[in-house]
Amino acid sequence: MDNTLYVGLSRQMVLQRQMDIVANNIANMDTTGFKVESLMEKTDLGTPATTQYIPSPVKFVASNGVARDFGQGALSETGGPLDMAIDGKGFFQVQGPNGPRFTRDGRFTLDTTGKLVTQQGLAVLDEGGSEITVDAEKGPVSVGPDGSLSQGRDRVGKVGVFTFTNAGVLEKDGDNLFKNASNLAPQPSVDAKVRQGMVEASNVKPVIEITNMIQVSRAYEQIAKMMDSQADLSARAVQRLGKVQ
Amino acid sequence: MQALRTAATGMAAQQMNVEVISNNIANMNTVAFKKQRAEFQDLLYQTFEASGTQSSDQGTIVPTGVQVGAGVKAGSVYRIGTQGSLTRTDNQYDMAIDGRGYFQVLLPTGETAYTRAGNFAINDQGQLVTQDGYQVQPAITIPGDATQVTVSKSGQVQVQQAGQTAPNTVGVLELATFVNEGGLQALGGNLLKETAASGAPTTGTPGAVGVGTLVQGYTEASNVDPVSEITALIVAQRAYEMNSKVISTADSMLATANQVKA
Repeated sequence: MDNTLYVGLSRQMVLQRQMDIVANNIANMDTTGFKVESLMEKTDLGTPATTQYIPSPVKFVASNGVARDFGQGALSETGGPLDMAIDGKGFFQVQGPNGPRFTRDGRFTLDTTGKLVTQQGLAVLDEGGSEITVDAEKGPVSVGPDGSLSQGRDRVGKVGVFTFTNAGVLEKDGDNLFKNASNLAPQPSVDAKVRQGMVEASNVKPVIEITNMIQVSRAYEQIAKMMDSQADLSARAVQRLGKVQ
Repeated sequence: MQALRTAATGMAAQQMNVEVISNNIANMNTVAFKKQRAEFQDLLYQTFEASGTQSSDQGTIVPTGVQVGAGVKAGSVYRIGTQGSLTRTDNQYDMAIDGRGYFQVLLPTGETAYTRAGNFAINDQGQLVTQDGYQVQPAITIPGDATQVTVSKSGQVQVQQAGQTAPNTVGVLELATFVNEGGLQALGGNLLKETAASGAPTTGTPGAVGVGTLVQGYTEASNVDPVSEITALIVAQRAYEMNSKVISTADSMLATANQVKA
């Protein structure tokens, strides 16, 4: 009898987590380089409540990983000379305090020594994994589609763009950064284009998120209704059984 | 429920976005104003199931974990330093910078501030000053009997004095450049201040390598594009509304949970 409550509860716990993820997507609909997430679910074969051993059709619901849509976000023009967006697959590599991190957020700037850094001051790395330094006095920096930086006729460096054979190994680390959670080595990208003066907008589609949110909240209410009727059923059973005796 | 707090961070970030946009619109006609952008970053993620952990004795691993983010924060508000268009004023003390660089201004506190607003004037002693009366550095004094003042592209200030045939050079204006202009701190009154992030200034004469040139009789307009600001305002307002919808939905889910019959 209690299984209705337990199954309902397992579903409600997953729905709450789904709601949290939808809320995070909506909160980040304007975050540069943000990638939308959704929760995957699975059937959980936990042991249902039973008084005797009989094969039970009762199964629970559990969360089964967060799926990330690494699809391209819209490129929006900023005019910033060191703003870069990746058109295609791949990530910029930056030097974080706890090892390399990957990002699609290309709003770069120079620090006081002329080093190319992110808005948080993390050094942007080239294909070989070294820092890139630009002499600001030598005129404007132009960025080629392959990520190469030049000032006038002089080539001053190349911003590395890396891809993973399986982007699922990346974990979010906050501050628009991804962490490589495996020992899968990143490969230099061959077909991604770097666009200067642009940034990649978040790929959250607000309409879809709002629809997901309505779906989650209605499903939650339905489960609550189901639990209510289960409670009614138990109450009636107690009343009637009491009368018979 | 985390969703409530997450949506609150979204609303706070959009509010800041609207503040920055409204400041841009308010300064649409401010001389040499540089537009600003609020930039967002995602907050920390709470990991419920780590990816890459072993899921069986056979060595199979969990391909994707469960990470739930805590919302958004305004990471930085940065200035976009693109050149504003030059507006003709015909005032001989108005100067615009075409290219990189800042005029140096001596503050009453003795510190040096930097500005691209070249709508200057002269004070009672003939010194070249800003509209607030702060002296432009290096100091230029225009003699009282000057009939015409000429500022060359390279910053040479020459005056034509009554009764003289040849113009007289009274000084050379210099411009300061910074490696990271975005790191300058705004003081208000069109003035900027050097910080640890901007680096120390390098002074040079206008027209030198990496330094812009001066254009007399013009001022630099703000680089605010009204259409894109209004569009950004609409987007920010809708994003704010959506975040508030998340709060009310999460609230109704909690209300549903409270009404379940025990």
